[in-house]
Amino acid sequence: MRRANLNSWLLAAPLTGVLVVFLVLPILLIVAVSFWSSNEFSFYPDFQFGNYEYLFGSSVAWKVFGLTFMMTAIVWALTLVIGFTIAFFLAFHVRTQKWQMVLFLLTTIPFWTSNIIRMISWIPLLGKNGLVNQTLIGAGIINEPIQWLLYSSFSVCLAFVHLYTLFMVVPIFNTMMRIDKSLIEAARDGGANGFQILTNVIIPLSKPGIMIGSIFVIALVMSDFVTTRFMSGSQLANVGRLISNDIGLLQYPSAAATAVVLLVTVLLMIGAMLRLVDIRKEL
Amino acid sequence: MEKRPASFYILGTFFALFMLFLYGPTITIAILSFQGPGGGLTFPMRGLSLNWFRELFMEQAVGDIWGSFRRSLTLGLMVMVTTVVVSVMAGLAFRRRFPGSTVLFYLVIGALVIPSILVSLGVGLLFDRTGIGSHWATSAFGAQLTWTLPFGILIMFAVFNRFNPAYEEAARDQGASTGQVFAHVVLPLIAPALVGVALFGFTLSYDEIARTILVSGSRNTLPLEIWGMTTNVTTPVLYALGTLTTIFSLSLVVLVILSVTIMQRRRARNGSDAGRGLV
Amino acid sequence: MSKIHYSRRNVLKGGVAAVAASTLPAPMIWAQNIKDVVLRQAGTGVSAFNEVAAKVKEDLGFTLEMTALDSDAVTQRAATQPDSYDIADIEYWICKKVWPTGNLQAMDISKIANYDKIAGTFRDGKLTPDSVIAQGTAPHTVGFVEGPGSTTFAAQDSGWMTLIPTIYNADTLGIRPDLISRPIDSWAELLNPEFKGKASILDISSIGIMDMAMVCEAMGEIQYADKGNMTRDEIDKTIGIFMEAKKNGQFRAFWKSFDESVNLMASGEVVIQSMWSPAITAVRAQGVPCVYQPLKEGYRSWGGGIGLSAGLSGLPLDAAYEYINWYLSGWVGGFLMRQGYYSAVPETSKLFMSEDEWGFWYEGKAAAGDIVSPSGTVIEKAGAVRDGGSFLDRMGKVACWNSVMDENQYMVRKWNEFIAA
Repeated sequence: MRRANLNSWLLAAPLTGVLVVFLVLPILLIVAVSFWSSNEFSFYPDFQFGNYEYLFGSSVAWKVFGLTFMMTAIVWALTLVIGFTIAFFLAFHVRTQKWQMVLFLLTTIPFWTSNIIRMISWIPLLGKNGLVNQTLIGAGIINEPIQWLLYSSFSVCLAFVHLYTLFMVVPIFNTMMRIDKSLIEAARDGGANGFQILTNVIIPLSKPGIMIGSIFVIALVMSDFVTTRFMSGSQLANVGRLISNDIGLLQYPSAAATAVVLLVTVLLMIGAMLRLVDIRKEL
Repeated sequence: MEKRPASFYILGTFFALFMLFLYGPTITIAILSFQGPGGGLTFPMRGLSLNWFRELFMEQAVGDIWGSFRRSLTLGLMVMVTTVVVSVMAGLAFRRRFPGSTVLFYLVIGALVIPSILVSLGVGLLFDRTGIGSHWATSAFGAQLTWTLPFGILIMFAVFNRFNPAYEEAARDQGASTGQVFAHVVLPLIAPALVGVALFGFTLSYDEIARTILVSGSRNTLPLEIWGMTTNVTTPVLYALGTLTTIFSLSLVVLVILSVTIMQRRRARNGSDAGRGLV
Repeated sequence: MSKIHYSRRNVLKGGVAAVAASTLPAPMIWAQNIKDVVLRQAGTGVSAFNEVAAKVKEDLGFTLEMTALDSDAVTQRAATQPDSYDIADIEYWICKKVWPTGNLQAMDISKIANYDKIAGTFRDGKLTPDSVIAQGTAPHTVGFVEGPGSTTFAAQDSGWMTLIPTIYNADTLGIRPDLISRPIDSWAELLNPEFKGKASILDISSIGIMDMAMVCEAMGEIQYADKGNMTRDEIDKTIGIFMEAKKNGQFRAFWKSFDESVNLMASGEVVIQSMWSPAITAVRAQGVPCVYQPLKEGYRSWGGGIGLSAGLSGLPLDAAYEYINWYLSGWVGGFLMRQGYYSAVPETSKLFMSEDEWGFWYEGKAAAGDIVSPSGTVIEKAGAVRDGGSFLDRMGKVACWNSVMDENQYMVRKWNEFIAA
């Protein structure tokens, strides 16, 4: 037993090392720095400690948290439905492993182009004079360009779905591939129709993949700040932007307070999800 | 071949539409990279030319695309290799519970969900206060690992959880050492998943901004360089870069498909099915 | 000696040897091993031109590495990572925030050869002896400290400079004259309902709040005691007016990077917005009409400069002084003036510009021939006049500077609310 433990510890040591140096220490440092008084760090003579107080007392902070949750919920739902469908198609309708891989690799290619470049390209795609509007006008479907295609909550969601659906597809596809095909056949032999097979066999068995995909998407959307800024034309703020704005303006204490609240919230959500499924076991 | 059900066609259309959506920006970039010399980053097109592809290989007014590209590529490969090695090791460790495993597991989840900008700020401060000084190959490398490792490890969980220990036992019964079991049994079986981890690791690193921005030291990685370049006039050179990247990765995919086809043919000839049904 | 050599050769090329020789910085140090020095400069892309680095190599022998960053990252690095740069290229309002961290070192003006020729704006705040100092964080208010190591700003020229001024400009609104077919002459037009969904403002709080103040004042809604140092009440009112406008859909987007402002304008998403001079040039270069509209209330101005990292000493420090002296000796000034910025030492820049270029960019005269950008494209045809006119016309009408106020923290929070509203 002792030896086995030692073995495990040795194997886990590199991971632990990286996380301690690049995660635990820095975070501790931030918390420490944020509480340094003004005379030592001399950022602002009127250094305040009521950051949490301010945060919880600010209607805007509540609103921003609310918006972040709403965005997360919408994006989660969309990526789940789309991601599940795609994974289902790849796992059960594409017959050969080779084609699964080909289609899969094809979906990753757009992500090799730098995100910043892709972000810029949404303007000529969705803008007033963009490809989509021009196509729609050309086809006679609309007369005036659609404004809300860009710089709106819609475009933010769209970009999120674009960026993160794959994070849902991969784990769901992974678990679906593990489903024993004979289970499905047994269900069919037992008289279940396609829908019943889906709801009674495939979805329950894909749950771990769904969970892990959800964790990815929720973590990514909750802490995003670049996408929201670009796609809303800076007109919407999520928690990540509050933090990055504060950091950009050297308001570390305020940023740290917001970040701590965000971190706790996300951890609580993920913790609850982990309670539903022990992903370490079921993955 | 049995007849495909109707659902195949419905789902196939859905998949095609999804692909169109995924490639929307890519297509826009491809079109606009052929802007005429007087054109900008948005429509209208002002002529057609290869001007921006030419410009891409010349010095820009601001920024150093190729220098930062080399850094990003190197960093991406470093992160990729480290992610694979560390994930596999951790994956092996996590196959059984050990004292501290739960804490470590939650730390991994924590690394994933923590706001990236906070990691960046913290690592930057740490390297500055300790006098080490930040550098893309040290602090940025570490900061990116906090991002790629959780992905790698979660994938390894998925792999090892459905890994049948019978193979290992069989090998051990035959007298294989621990090292031999790993090298000849475990590694070949998990290899396809490792390709996935590597791909994830590289892609996540290559395009990382938030965790890198305050820790890259005095030189920028490619995404940071492009981000910095947008503080001055940028040109469709960026789109030309995007188009080239897409062409490059497309050819890479074609290459992979070809080699897989060849391998399958060879396998079919030799009648072996080793390694199938694992991915 | 070789130093003088290089300069003379250059100047002879320009054909103004006699004048230029007097502007040459006094030789300070010259060592062969200065060629091995590498200076790392961090700043926004606004002035991080590769051509400047190449010219440094050619003229001074050492290597200048430029890293372009966005404005937030520059502030961050300047404040938290003094080891990651030798030279910080920042704006004066950023200096006000970063200086107290002690990460930058004061510069001895006795080592700056052209110090006396630096525009008055950066020394005593007065462009001409009788000009009125504009509101806000005017460069001279954060331009000096009491002495080396001091973290408090000096009220006047103390012999120790925080930043050596490099470029500056007077900003106003950019408009699309083809899409707005009537004259625009006031900042108040930004909130005119006529441009609903077609206006934009920049999302950098210290700059944006000043544009807002110009608008609110022009509308007659608020009379500020000092725009550059607003009271909480004034901040509330200002942000309130803009929140209302935002809720009514006045703005198409806000922009944060230079490039976004170009794309917004060139693509026609926006027809009126706060903008920077070279962005106008970039839009025009795409064949899209765009005017940097002078407004009756005056300009909002900004200035940038280079500061030295506190860790710099010995030979690299000497090299940095060489660089600064070279920076002020004219070539860079001419280069940047051709981008539409102003140089801190206009009279040396003149030596590196053609008479026509000088007339167009600085004196506000009609161009005699085509005006060509540094990259070689024609940006103005013969006969064109710079929007706003001459240097004195433009910089003489500065109403306020980009600012860091006493109530900065409060303002930042309000700004966040504005963005989140």
